[in-house]
Amino acid sequence: MEYLSLFVKSIFVDNMIFAYFLGMCSFLAVSKNVKTAAGLGVAVIFVLLVTLPINYLLNTYVLAPDALAEGVDLSFLSFIIFIAVIAAIVQVVEMVVEKFSPSLYSALGIFLPLIAVNCAILGGSLFMQQKDFLNVGESVVYALGSGIGWFLAIVSLAAIREKMSYSNVPAALKGLGITFITVGLMGIAFMTFMGISL
Amino acid sequence: MNTNNNVYTVIYTTIIVVVVAAVLAFVSESLKGKQDANEKADTISQMLTAAQFGTKAEFQKMGNAAVLAKYAEEIARAFTVDTKGGKVADLPLDKVYSPSELKRQNYNIKGGQNVSGNPELPVFIFKNGITVVPVYGAGLWGPVWGYIAFGQDGKTIKGAYFDHESETAGLGAKIKDDPSFQAEFTGEQADFSSANVFDIVKGGSPKNADGSEVIDNKIDAITGATMTSKGLDAAIDTWLGAYARYFLAAAPAEESCCSEAEKSNTEED
Amino acid sequence: MNAKLKETILNPIFKGNPITVLVLGICSSLAVTVTLKGALVMALSVIVVTGISSLILSLLRNTIPGRVRIIVQLVVVAMMVILVDQILKSFEATYAIDKQLSVYIGLIITNCIVMGRIEAFALGNTPWPSFLDGIANGAGYGIILLIVAFFRELLGSGTLFGFDILNRFGYVPNNLVILPPFALILLGCIVWVQRSIQKDLQEK
Repeated sequence: MEYLSLFVKSIFVDNMIFAYFLGMCSFLAVSKNVKTAAGLGVAVIFVLLVTLPINYLLNTYVLAPDALAEGVDLSFLSFIIFIAVIAAIVQVVEMVVEKFSPSLYSALGIFLPLIAVNCAILGGSLFMQQKDFLNVGESVVYALGSGIGWFLAIVSLAAIREKMSYSNVPAALKGLGITFITVGLMGIAFMTFMGISL
Repeated sequence: MNTNNNVYTVIYTTIIVVVVAAVLAFVSESLKGKQDANEKADTISQMLTAAQFGTKAEFQKMGNAAVLAKYAEEIARAFTVDTKGGKVADLPLDKVYSPSELKRQNYNIKGGQNVSGNPELPVFIFKNGITVVPVYGAGLWGPVWGYIAFGQDGKTIKGAYFDHESETAGLGAKIKDDPSFQAEFTGEQADFSSANVFDIVKGGSPKNADGSEVIDNKIDAITGATMTSKGLDAAIDTWLGAYARYFLAAAPAEESCCSEAEKSNTEED
Repeated sequence: MNAKLKETILNPIFKGNPITVLVLGICSSLAVTVTLKGALVMALSVIVVTGISSLILSLLRNTIPGRVRIIVQLVVVAMMVILVDQILKSFEATYAIDKQLSVYIGLIITNCIVMGRIEAFALGNTPWPSFLDGIANGAGYGIILLIVAFFRELLGSGTLFGFDILNRFGYVPNNLVILPPFALILLGCIVWVQRSIQKDLQEK
């Protein structure tokens, strides 16, 4: 039950895009059509799923005060370690996918390097550090939930943008301008989830 | 030079990582003493602010040495208690709990990882009878913590000061920057016999007919900063809940133990 | 100064603005624009960080192995930011400033502007233009930040830099303005204004 509430919470209540506004750059840049948006969404879910448990273990057994040895506090390194793990995983994933599944690589390829600088991924690790999860299982569930939340957000924005290309938007507002405003309105709508406690 | 060569890549990455780690470790180690001194003075000035000896800005102007001297002048005793309310050990009078030490005790209270499982919660008692205890928890982006000062009855709040690591400026950061938020605590009473020792509620704190706060255990949350308010509320409940038995058991006894001079001191406020 | 360098400096401030044209660094522009003061601190930090990290990585550009370049970039940027934080934290006079800055450290490291300019410019250019490009992009980012923060603080709190402006005339602060979605709507309006002036940026 704990896991289920954490899962639902991380998808809707703590949505990476609409509650924390993390990972906006690629969210806005790669949401022109549903297909590519879904590709990036899947990649984000995957990278979150791999990096969060690794960072969780590193944080618990290496970085936290007294974790390595009594009196050793390496928490000042947590930023740099998290970011290095994320960049390394992204690079490894890129190489593995390229080697074993060229078709998936060509579908995902260009989005993979982008993910290393996606704030949603680092944000996930930092929130994980904050939330004091009790075991690896919780961090996996949290990673899956926030990844799916991000996926849902980018796919729904892409769907709206596809429809919007047929609407009569003022020329100067077309593209980026109206997308900003749409995301703002979607954000306001998502705020209704904030009051829900699970 | 072929920079895509595997051996070169591995060596290059190793060198970069080692150099960066060495630089950071060296800087962090060599500056640690100074940083700790600054942090300690900052922590003390937060406790003094909570206990209403002045404002945070005044202490900031005074400089570290003067803040430490002021604290040494006002503090009466300090000790740690466990969650059953029993005293664990006396603390040296110049010992304070930095946020990282509060974090460790926070793990202890919650029974998370890296814990001894036996919380040692600090209690600071000032010469004018005010008791200051810390709270610690997670806000929206990073930790939030603070100090709450109780009067001699062990439930009336005399003042509070909160700090945070990375809450949003203008929203969550108001727990630190907005004196009116901290002032809301003053005069309210914590309810140590309930699980919700103190509540930060959204726009629902009961008001008197003239608009003043009803004396209860509720204050208003910060508009637009739902997550930070929630986090601070949870932090206060967790920590004051852990102190509950101490306050329920020890507070009346404190009164009888205090000297006449101290009593007359507190009747004024 | 030759024309190319001048172009390097002026372009990011309006025509190739990192936020409204390149769509970089949106996350932080939402988080820090509730008050002008926060926006100013963030803008200055980003100018310094993009400038210096572009300079360093431009110096290293011929030695970085292609496959791990993102790790190298991120590690150098993160080191820079943490170093500044650690040094500021250790002096009594700068401790209070650092407490302001430490809020933004995570946001600066993951700010796509820093990484974006390193990828797009510093890795292919000599150190001096790279440094200027970093500074100019930081400035272009800062200008948008300050415009958004101006409206959000004025309408959301009725103040500017903490000084009361509108409240004394009986203005009731609009709470919607301080919520992040409003920053997006404001950014949309800024893009609208900019593209009405510069028609060649309009999308079809």
